[in-house]
Amino acid sequence: MKAQLELLRFAWRNVLRNRRRSLATVIIAALGAAAIMIAGGFALYTYDALREGAAREFGHFTVAHREFFQRDEETPLQYGLENYRKLSAALEKDQRVTRVLPRLNFSGLISNGDKSMVFLGMGADARAEGAARGVFLKLLEGSLFGGDEPGAPRVLLGSALAKSLNAHPGTPLTLLTTTVEGSMNAVDVEVSGIVSTGWPEIDKRLVYAPLPAVQKLLLTDKVSALAVYLEDTAMTPAALADWQARDSIHTFKPWWEQAFYYQSVRALYNRIFGLLGIIIAVLVFFSVANTLSMAVVERTREIGTLRALGALPGEIVAGFAREGGLIGVLGVVIGMALAGLTTALLLGLDVQMPPPPGRSEGYPLKVYADPTIYAVAASVIVVLCIVAAWFVSRKASRKTIVEALGHV
Amino acid sequence: MNAPVIDLRGIAKHYRMGDSDVPALQGIDLAVTRGAFVAVKGPSGSGKSTLLNICGLLDGFDAGSYRLDGEDMSGLDETARTLIRRRRIGFVFQSYNLVPVMTVRENVEYPLILLGMGEDQRIARVAETLALVGLEQLAERRPDHLSGGQRQRVAIARALVKSPALVIADEPTANLDSATATQVIDLMRGLGARHGATFLIATHDDRMTAHCDEVRTLTDGVMQ
Ligand SMILES: Nc1ncnc2c1ncn2[C@@H]1O[C@H](COP(=O)(O)OP(=O)(O)OP(=O)(O)O)[C@@H](O)[C@H]1O
Ligand SMILES: [Mg+2]
Repeated sequence: MKAQLELLRFAWRNVLRNRRRSLATVIIAALGAAAIMIAGGFALYTYDALREGAAREFGHFTVAHREFFQRDEETPLQYGLENYRKLSAALEKDQRVTRVLPRLNFSGLISNGDKSMVFLGMGADARAEGAARGVFLKLLEGSLFGGDEPGAPRVLLGSALAKSLNAHPGTPLTLLTTTVEGSMNAVDVEVSGIVSTGWPEIDKRLVYAPLPAVQKLLLTDKVSALAVYLEDTAMTPAALADWQARDSIHTFKPWWEQAFYYQSVRALYNRIFGLLGIIIAVLVFFSVANTLSMAVVERTREIGTLRALGALPGEIVAGFAREGGLIGVLGVVIGMALAGLTTALLLGLDVQMPPPPGRSEGYPLKVYADPTIYAVAASVIVVLCIVAAWFVSRKASRKTIVEALGHV
Repeated sequence: MNAPVIDLRGIAKHYRMGDSDVPALQGIDLAVTRGAFVAVKGPSGSGKSTLLNICGLLDGFDAGSYRLDGEDMSGLDETARTLIRRRRIGFVFQSYNLVPVMTVRENVEYPLILLGMGEDQRIARVAETLALVGLEQLAERRPDHLSGGQRQRVAIARALVKSPALVIADEPTANLDSATATQVIDLMRGLGARHGATFLIATHDDRMTAHCDEVRTLTDGVMQ
């Protein structure tokens, strides 16, 4: 045991033998480790943010008619939910459920008298939606409406739609749509507020209207689906499984099956950061290999001496592996400090990222300090350093002793 | 009954230099008895180092047989030869070949670490050997802070600390001044006798040969 410690001490002194060269290598290992930790932490943060965004948008899971996700409706609400109030009450008894929001999807034309635009509407309670979606639904002008208010129905418009209709809070508009019976129906509404979802494509068409008014317009008692919100996104799989087991009449669809954006960004980032990780690993490997191969050449005669004294090639290689390991450990420790500092710094500063593709809003740049990522990055770097040392000293350790001893 | 430590019969070795063969040793017979202090002398290029490398199991040979302590050394693989060197052969080199990152004490301790000796025993052995070569005061120094004579004394301690059967010393006094060389020779003799080690020494040095039990001469790879 003590002998191992002593061998480690010799390795450490060998690392210090050419301080500048070792320092440069340690710095490269440190930057490599930090880069992997920071990139990984950023990816995790992004996945988290996107996951919350998606869960807020769709609800943690959606409850719908069994055919709702399977087939296209031939008439509006053909596969809607009829007795959704009872279902909603049952769901709300679940401790994990914080909110159940009925939603009615409809579409048609919206007109300001001079100009008509196609809209994609949702009958809902805007205040409840706003509360559930939080920062993911931004009120730009005016106010949100409640569930059932007297007077002309008040609607929320997507920002781009409001702009092309030149609409502001208080502007009167008309909604024209097809009823469940297939006839046309219209209703006069008043703009209550202008909102942005952060998705320009959606903001161009979005109309939120009070659910009772939309049901009246479509001549129906149904809703399209119920969006169920849980206390914590992590509860989704368990809650989903419970409800699927309990209720076989309806379809329960979790957020991730609807969140294509989340899935594709995650797949893309996994690929980008995976590639980045490989590049960093290769750089660290060759840098350590380069440093140690210089050391191996410089110490050829010493290797010959140790071999003459009875050290096996494997023991020579182990000596260099210890050096590589020490460089790696030192690099990883510094790298962790750098990554941790970056996380702390970004928590304090409010750095904004530019909007991701397809979106209009940037988001704050944060980097998670994740123990798993730190552990994986640290072990990968240390192992690489050891393998690099093994790689460059293997040949020299087997060189004939007489030749090595004659080396100057 | 007292088998020779080194028993060479008809040893031949040649080096390949491009297309030509350079014969370095041609049919060497040599028997060295236990505890003997034997010098091999001869002009430069006569094959002294080649002979010592073979006896020290640092290099192989092309023909003949080599028995070390009665044991046949032909046909051993590198691992087997390494383990025999580790246990039974000590080396003293012309240019000391101490490990610069190790202190004097650690240089002497290293062969015992290779042998897997326990810490307490190691410490005692090293202290004892350093005292015998008169270096206990310098135990914590690095080799580059020592004179040539001191370094060679460390090397002698390193060679003898494990009580080897055989010590191979290739021109151990070539880099030393006269007075120091004499000290080193005395030390080798003294420690060798104490440990019962057998010495095979290559040298040009007449001061050295004067102290040896036996002096053999090599000329062009042939033993006189
Ligand atoms: N690696 C080698 N390749 C080719 N020829 C070699 C090699 N080593 C030694 N020789 C040759 O073998 C012969 C014996 O060399 P060796 O080194 O054994 O002589 P030496 O007696 O030790 O000489 P010196 O007194 O100069 O040390 C010489 O002719 C030398 O040139
Ligand atoms: Mg020689």
